[in-house]
Order: sequence, then structure tokens, then C-alpha cells
Amino acid sequence: MDAPEQQKLTGRDQWRVLKRLLRYLRPHKGAATVALILLGLTVLGSVLGPYLIKTFIDDYLTPREFPAQPLMLLAGAYLSILVLNAVFGYVQLLKFQEIALRIVRQIRIDAFTKVHRLGMRYFDKTPAGGTVSRVTNDTEAILEMFVDVLVGFLQSGFLIIGVYIAMFALDVQLALLSLLLLPLIFLIMWIYRKYSSEFYQDLRERLSQLNGKIAESLNGMGMIQVFRQEKRFREEFGEINDKHYEAGMRNIKLDGLLLRPAVDIVYALGLILLLSYFGITSFSEPVEIGVIYAFVTYIDRFFEPINQVMQRLSIFQQAIVAADRVFRLMDDPEMEPAQPEQGDARIAEGKIEFRDVSFSYDGKTDVLKQISFTANPGETVALVGHTGSGKSSIINLLMRFYEFERGEILIDGQPIRSYPKDELREKTGLVLQDPFLFYGDIESNIRLFDGSIGSGEVQAAAEFVQADPFVRSLPDGYGQKVTERGSTFSGGQRQLIAFARTMVKEPKILILDEATANIDTETEVAIQKGLERMRKGRTTIAIAHRLSTIQDADLILVLHQGEIVERGTHRELLSKGGLYHKMYRLQNGILEENEAR
Amino acid sequence: MNVFMQLGWFFKERKKQYLIGILMLLVVAGLQLLPPRVIGYVVDEIRLGTLTGAGLGRWLLILAGAALAMYVLRYYWRIMIFGSSVLLGRRLRSELFAHFTKMSSSFYQQRRVGDLMAHATNDIRAVQQTAGHGVLTLVDSVTTGGAVIIAMAVTIDWKLTLIALLPMPLMAVLTSWYGKMLHERFRTAQEAFSDLNDKTQESIAGIKVIKTFGQEEEDIDDFRKLSADVVGKNVRVARVDALFDPTISLIVGLSFFLSIIFGARFILNGDMTLGDLVAFNAYLGLLVWPMLAFGFLFNIVERGRASYGRIRELLAVPPDIGDADGAADASPRGDLAFDILEFRFPEAEHPALRNVRFTLKKGETLGIVGRTGSGKTAILKLLLREFEGYDGAITYGGIPITGYRKERLLEAFGYVPQDHFLFSATVRENIAFTDVDAPFAKVREAARLAHIDEDILGFADGYDTVVGERGVSLSGGQKQRISIARALLMEPELLILDDSLSAVDARTEEAILAALKETRTEETTIITSHRMSAIQHAHQIIVMEDGTIAEKGTHEELMALGGIYHEMYRLQQLEALVEQGGDA
Repeated sequence: MDAPEQQKLTGRDQWRVLKRLLRYLRPHKGAATVALILLGLTVLGSVLGPYLIKTFIDDYLTPREFPAQPLMLLAGAYLSILVLNAVFGYVQLLKFQEIALRIVRQIRIDAFTKVHRLGMRYFDKTPAGGTVSRVTNDTEAILEMFVDVLVGFLQSGFLIIGVYIAMFALDVQLALLSLLLLPLIFLIMWIYRKYSSEFYQDLRERLSQLNGKIAESLNGMGMIQVFRQEKRFREEFGEINDKHYEAGMRNIKLDGLLLRPAVDIVYALGLILLLSYFGITSFSEPVEIGVIYAFVTYIDRFFEPINQVMQRLSIFQQAIVAADRVFRLMDDPEMEPAQPEQGDARIAEGKIEFRDVSFSYDGKTDVLKQISFTANPGETVALVGHTGSGKSSIINLLMRFYEFERGEILIDGQPIRSYPKDELREKTGLVLQDPFLFYGDIESNIRLFDGSIGSGEVQAAAEFVQADPFVRSLPDGYGQKVTERGSTFSGGQRQLIAFARTMVKEPKILILDEATANIDTETEVAIQKGLERMRKGRTTIAIAHRLSTIQDADLILVLHQGEIVERGTHRELLSKGGLYHKMYRLQNGILEENEAR
Repeated sequence: MNVFMQLGWFFKERKKQYLIGILMLLVVAGLQLLPPRVIGYVVDEIRLGTLTGAGLGRWLLILAGAALAMYVLRYYWRIMIFGSSVLLGRRLRSELFAHFTKMSSSFYQQRRVGDLMAHATNDIRAVQQTAGHGVLTLVDSVTTGGAVIIAMAVTIDWKLTLIALLPMPLMAVLTSWYGKMLHERFRTAQEAFSDLNDKTQESIAGIKVIKTFGQEEEDIDDFRKLSADVVGKNVRVARVDALFDPTISLIVGLSFFLSIIFGARFILNGDMTLGDLVAFNAYLGLLVWPMLAFGFLFNIVERGRASYGRIRELLAVPPDIGDADGAADASPRGDLAFDILEFRFPEAEHPALRNVRFTLKKGETLGIVGRTGSGKTAILKLLLREFEGYDGAITYGGIPITGYRKERLLEAFGYVPQDHFLFSATVRENIAFTDVDAPFAKVREAARLAHIDEDILGFADGYDTVVGERGVSLSGGQKQRISIARALLMEPELLILDDSLSAVDARTEEAILAALKETRTEETTIITSHRMSAIQHAHQIIVMEDGTIAEKGTHEELMALGGIYHEMYRLQQLEALVEQGGDA
């Protein structure tokens, strides 16, 4: 349950949102027209039925004449209308629902596509749950609106018009009189909508508070119990529960006052109107009984859709608010850094150069300060330093996760911004610290969505990074199921799969964020061997937590608070006796007497 | 229908409301019969030319009177019956919540919060539906349906009634069948939707990987496929859903047709009048809803039965750690003696603790160090009586901790957990967690001791800033310090810091420890930590390894011993040096 966002949309905002929603109808113009025609036909049918019965009563039953042929015709017409109406009605209902479903699917795809165009900054500041909700739950609310509200409105509107046309055809005066019922109905609707939007909103919020309280209490039950606050929480919950109950009762009362019971009063008024009209008319001239029958039936048909529409008014309001949230996601300006779509810039050598790059996530504190270094083709540059020293930020810039303003990053002498996105992604391979596995199996996790990669290549990649033995030892081998982000595999095993996933693409540039998580000793050896092989012949930028893995790097950069404080090879840095030296001793558990005091 | 029996206790309790409500429904069912009959009479009188102004006025008055009476009755039966059902929802919800607060940690280990949530929301809603709409549909379909049929048969013609009703049972059967089909298809549609939800969640969680491999388009394609599946499954739902309305109008239309055809014959035979026929048709219109209701009834009741079963099952789980008979109604004071031969967590293969013995004098501080999984937290869990069933004894002030009433035992403990959990409330309310009415000065004092006061004053709304899931996000260190302030506010006899200084920097840690030492001279403290600096001044330190005590003594003694503690200490000193950039 996500937090209820307190926001009031003005009438104009609501109208704007609705118009934008309706724009999604455009590709379905054809289907919508067919459905509308069918809807018109069913309305026509339900208006004609009583008319036929009226004809039967007035022309045949009252004068007691029963010629076989016309009667058969009449009965046949009635029955065919009945059946056709059922068929048209079914197709029409189905069509409208299909259109609504397709519209919502398009909205979903648009929202999801937008999510993929957003920059990492967006994900830093937005909780994932909220974004998921926009794509799924809020769009579901829109679906409800299309299916229940809009289609309901249309049906009712058509039927009301149809009934009135029929009434006018039968008796203009009475039909005019019946028009008096409309303002009364609109008045009830208006009052109901006014209060229900408030009461219903209130009920929704209370429910969300109630569920929020249950969820939070369940999550924090350990704390509640250890601090013996059970009684207080029960009381607090009781209060929210009472408020929810009261809100529920208020809604029941409102519905009772203004929904069906109120509409039924108007129905009774309509009947009284009819009977007094016919009664009074009958004092001066004869009245056709069939016409009375038809009017009674029409009035009856007229009120059912009104009841339905009223019950759905509150859904409408919810859906507009939900749609507004979805549209705001679609309009979010926090886009990913731009790259040219096309272009023939190619990465051939894999030379990487940072020139005076400074960077800040929040625009206030610099996390990288004037970083300059060069990684020549085939070389390995290692980044070491404590948490928060800026190692990951260098990778974030190199991967174009974030846009930078100061300094320049060059690949093969060209600015990184000049390469098409596809070229960059194809030639650079990143292995994340926490290898994220997707739902599926091992093979699909190595191949990802790239259909051009065959099983042979998947296996070759796995063999190359030393993952093959462990995968083969699984009961289903490469077909082994991966569930819930790969939680059934150890950190080391996940890392190996991530290696294979990267190597199957044979990137020119390799970017490694070494895992810090506890890696079991069994996979440790495999990982080291795999890493060694992967780096061979590729320009590699590696974040190393274990200094032992990068002793043969061509260049080691020691970062501290966003600056490169030491640089050189392993040997050079050790002989310097600085920060690197201390880190090295720390990791190897070497304690010298002068520091162990 | 069994569920109505199971809910009998509630109906008995709300006997008055339900009886009044049902009575009102009965009266409404009766009153509903008036308009069609009136229409019939008026039609006949018009046809025969016997209608007079006064007669018409009388009929209209009857109509108006009936309409007004129905309006009032319809309003009140809703209050009586729907109101009662909402009340049942409230009752069950608070019972369930109270039950949740009594459940032990093992209960929560075996169940997922999401499932428990579902019981507290969806299942209660289904039961509420049964007690509201379920009762309504049952009563309404029986009374209205019955009354209309009787009226048709008695006041008009029983033969015509039978004929016209012929198609009606088909409607109840069909709608009930559709309902079942719909439920089944709806479930698969829900599953498809939840797959889509999972997919979205996964894509957002793995956004970096997707970006890294440039697989955005492919991922969108996959999403497109899944959302097409959602459309497909929902169209299956729509195929059934769209059957309802046409089926109803077809069957009702057939009934009308039969009644007109045969009614005409009866009129010709002189068995009934034209007015009767019009009235009869109006009655038929009234029958539509009860027939539908009858179809719905089975589905509502079926869902209510399953849901109520699940709720009852949950409520039947007994709270497993209760107070022993004759448990001391006193707060523990004095020395703490821990003597455990062996303890294993339920269903665990290996013991979590083996031969753990120590005594902690009142007013002293115990430090516990050791790697993750070495047994530090297990010691605390036993102390807090989250688990029992160990081989050995834990005594506080000479009495086994199981000999105290649990509530009295816990009120002496100020526990600061590893995973600091803050509630969606203000900072002040979070700190004054155990004593909501604590004066502000006391809250601030606790915050000052935990070195969080300054941070809090820096928040936009100071102590009234809302934190927790729905509030501002705090750093790990801030959360830890608020948790510490929460425990300190209790001025506990025993303060337990479960690795709760891990996210604060070294200087703050030192300041907090110094503040504790100063103010807590009479009370006992237990600190577990990865970091040696947090425990090095303790009166007594135990080093845990593999669930047992590897080394024991003061800092000086352990350093002199030159064992695990000694090595850990020196490595951490070096680490601190690296953290500071190596220039120290």
C-alpha cells in the first residue's frame, strides 16, 4: 500500500487529465465506432420491444382481432429483436472492455518505457514501490474507470436518449412532462457526487491508514513486544479502526439517502406523473392501453442505468487522481544522459581517458575532484579507497549513469558523449558488485534478452569465467531455475554468473566492481581465475576491495574523499609507505610492532 | 450456508438490528407490490371508463405513500444490516490485531507479513460482505421473490405465473454458473497482473544491469508481452462478464413474451383483464433482481466461508510463551547469571549456543564481541525471552527470568536492536515510545545522551518531524541514535545495545559511551559489537566464537592474552587509520 498522496485536483486539472486519457482512444477509432453502433442498435432494440407489445395490445388485443400472419410477424419480430439484442449487447460489451484493456496496456507500456528512459538520479530519489505502483496499480484504476464509468455513462446516455425518442414518438406531451424528471435526477447526482467524493475519499484514506498501521505493526512487532507497547498499539489501532468504521457508516448513510432509495422515489414520481396524465386524459378522450404499457416499461428501463452510473461516480474521481499520477511519471524531466541515436563513432582500441573530471550528485558537495588518468588499450587500472572515496562515482560516470558537467571523459580520443548508446553498451561490460539475477534460469540470465546468443556461446562464456563446473553440478544445469533475485545461489555463484553474462558479449572495455559480500572459499578460487582471464587483452577499470586481486594492475589509483591521493603500480605504492601500504597490511593482517601499541 | 451458522454468534449479538432490518425488508417487499397492482387497476378503470378524479387521486396517494415509506425503510434497513456488517469487520479486525500483538517471534518467522496482511484485509472484507450483502441477498431473494410470485399467483393468475416463470430459474442457474467461471478466470487474470507487477518491480530493482547491457528495448518488449498476457486473460474475464446483461435481458424478454402470448389467451377466455396483464408485466420486472441476487448469493457465501475459515484458523494459534503460574510480579534487580549448556533455534540443526556461562554484577557493563553468527544475538534473544526451551538457566537477581511475569521482566530492559525500526510517527513519539506522556524535557534529555538532539533540532520540524516508512529518510546513524534515545528514556535497569553503534562515527560513539558511563552508574549494561572500541572499557568482555565463549576478561587481560581479541583489536586500529585517510 503506498502512502496516500494528499492532493486536490482542480476541476480544470481533472478535465485536462480526462482529455489526455481520451486521446488514447484514437488508435481504436474503428473498434470504438463499431461498438458504438452496436450500442445504438441494442438501445434501439430495447426501445422497440415495448413498442411492439404496445402495438399488439392496442391493434389486436383490445379490438380482439387476431389475424394469423401479422401476429406471427409481430411475434417473430419481437423474438428476433430479443435474440439480436442479446448478441449485439454481448459483442458491444466485450468490444468496449477490449478497447479499455488495450488502452490501459498502451498507457502501461508508455509508463514502463518512460521508466527506462529515466536517469539514475530519478531512482535515487524515488522509492521503487511508488514507481511500480504508477505502472501497475494506478493504471488498473484507470482500467476500472474506462470499463465501469465511461462505458456505463455511454450506455446510460444512449438509453436515456433512446427512451425519450420513443416516448416522443408515442406522446409528445407526456414525453415533455417526463423531461421534468431529468433535472431532478441531475440534482440528486450533483448532491451525491459532491458529498461522495469527499466521503469516499475519506473512507479510502482511513482504509489506507488502517492497512498502513497493520503493516507497520506487523513489521515492527518485535519492537512493540520488547517495549511492551501491545496495549497502546491495540488502542491506537482501535482508534483508527473506529474512524474507519465511522467513515464506512457515513458512506452507508449517504448511499442510503441518495442512491437507490432516492432514485426509486423519482421513479415513483414518474409513475405518478404517468398515471395522472393518462387518468386525466381519459376523462376527456380515450386512451390506448398499449401506450400506458409502453410508458410504464420505458420509465422502468430508464432508471436502471441511472442507478448504475451513480454508484460509479466515486470510482471516476479515484481514477482521475491515479491517471494524474501516471501522467506525472510520464512527464518526469529527470532523463538519462543523452547519447546520439545513430552515428558511426566506433570504439576500436578501448583507450580511456579522464581529464579533470569533477562531479557532484546534489550540486553541493563534490564527490569527485579533478580526476585525471589514462587507461591505455589492454591495460588494467585499479581503483582502491575506502567507502565513499569516489570509486563508484568514477564508474557511474564512465557508464553514463549520471551526466557530468566539468572535465572530459574520452574513449579512443573521442568524447564519450559522441558515441551512440548502443556502441557504448556493446563495447563496455560492467560487472556490478551485487550481481542482480532475473527470474528465469541460468542460461537466460547469461544471455539476457539477446536472442542471437546460442546455448553454445552461453556455455563457452561460462567455461571461460570458470562458472561451468558449478553450473553443471546443479540438478538442472543451465536450465536451473533462478527465483527471487537469485537468492538460492551464494554471492560467489551469482558473481560467476554475472561474469559469464558480461563475457558472452565480448566487450572491449571491462569495468569491474568487485564483490565485497562474503564469498565462500569454494567459489573464491574460481572467481580469481575467471577475473584474470577476463582482463587479458581488455582495457579494464576495476574497483578492488581485495588488494591481492590487483597486484598486477598497470596503474593503481588510491582515492580518498574524491581525490586521487596516490598513484602508481603495486610495487611503487608499497615502497611509498602511504595509505596504500597501510591498506595492504590491514588486509593481510600484517601488524608491525610500532603500530600495534 | 454453513458460514451463516458459524457467524451465528454475531447475528445473536446483533439480533435486534438484524431482526428489525429483515422486518423492514419484508415490509419493503410487500410495499413494492403496490405500484404494479395500482397500475393494473388504473388501466382497467381507464379501459372501462370508470375512473373518477377522486379515485385517481386515491390511487396516486397510495403510490406516493408507499414510495415515501419505502424510502425511509430502505434507508434504515441499510443502517441495520450493512451497518452491522461494518461493525463485524471492525470487530474481527481488532480481534485479529490484538491476536497479532500476542504472537511470538516464531509465529512471525513462519509467516510472511504480506499473507498476514491479506487475512486482515481481503478475508475480513469477504466475511463482512457475507454478513451484509450475503444476508441481504438471501432475505431479499426469498422475500421479494416470494412476495411477488405470491402476488402474481393470487391476485392475477397462477397458471400465467407458472408459465411466465418458466425461464426464470434458468437465470439463477446461469448467473451462478457465470459467477463461478468469472471467479476462476478472474483469479488467473489476477495472477497475470501480479506477474506484471513482479516484472515491473524486478526491472526497477535491476535497472542498472539493464542499462549496463543496453537491454532497455528488449526489457520493454518483454513487458509488452506480459501486458498482452494481462489483456488476454482479462478478455477471458470480459467474455464471461459481458454475458450477464444480455442473458438477463434475454430471459426476462422471454418471460415477457410468454406472459403476453398466454396472457392474451387468458384475456380472450375472460380469465383476466387487460389491466391485470399490465400489472403482471410490472411484477415480472420486479422479479429480475431477486433472481439475480439468488445467483450472487452462492458466490458471496462461498467466498465468505473460505475467508472466515482462514481467519478462525489464524485466531486459533495460541501465543506460545506465557507466564508461568505464580510468576513474580516484580521488576528484576540485581546480578545477572547466564548459564546455558546448549540452545538451538527451533528447527535448526546446529546449536546456536554451547556452554555459555557468565555473571554480570549490578552496575557493571558486559561487552560481547564476535563475528556474525557467533551467538551474540542468540544470548540477547534468550534474555529477552523471545525463545525458551534451552538447557540451562538464566537468573536475574537470583530468580530465573522465566519466574518473572514477562511484562515485568521486559520493563526493566532497554533494548536497542541491530535493525533499528522506527515507526511512522514524530521523532518525539518515537523516543517517548514506552511513555507517551513523558515530559518534553525528559525526551530531550534522552536524545542528548544519545547525541541526536542537535541532529533533530536541524530537521525541518524539529522533534515533530515525522520519521519512519512514510516520513523523512534518516541516515543509519541517526536511526540508531534515535533507537538508543528510545531505550534510554526508560532509564532501564538493564540496557542492551545490540551492535547499535555500527553506523555512528568513532567520535560520536565515544561520546555516547562516555555519557552512558556517567549517567548509568547503578544500572547494568550489555553491549555487543563488531567494533572493539565500543566495548573496550567494559568491566567484562566475552569473545564469542561458534556459539561458545572463546575468551573472557577485561580489555587489559585479553590484550595480554594475545589471542583472538588481541588480533581483532589491532586490525581494527589499522582500519580506523585507513578510514581517516592514513595521515594519523
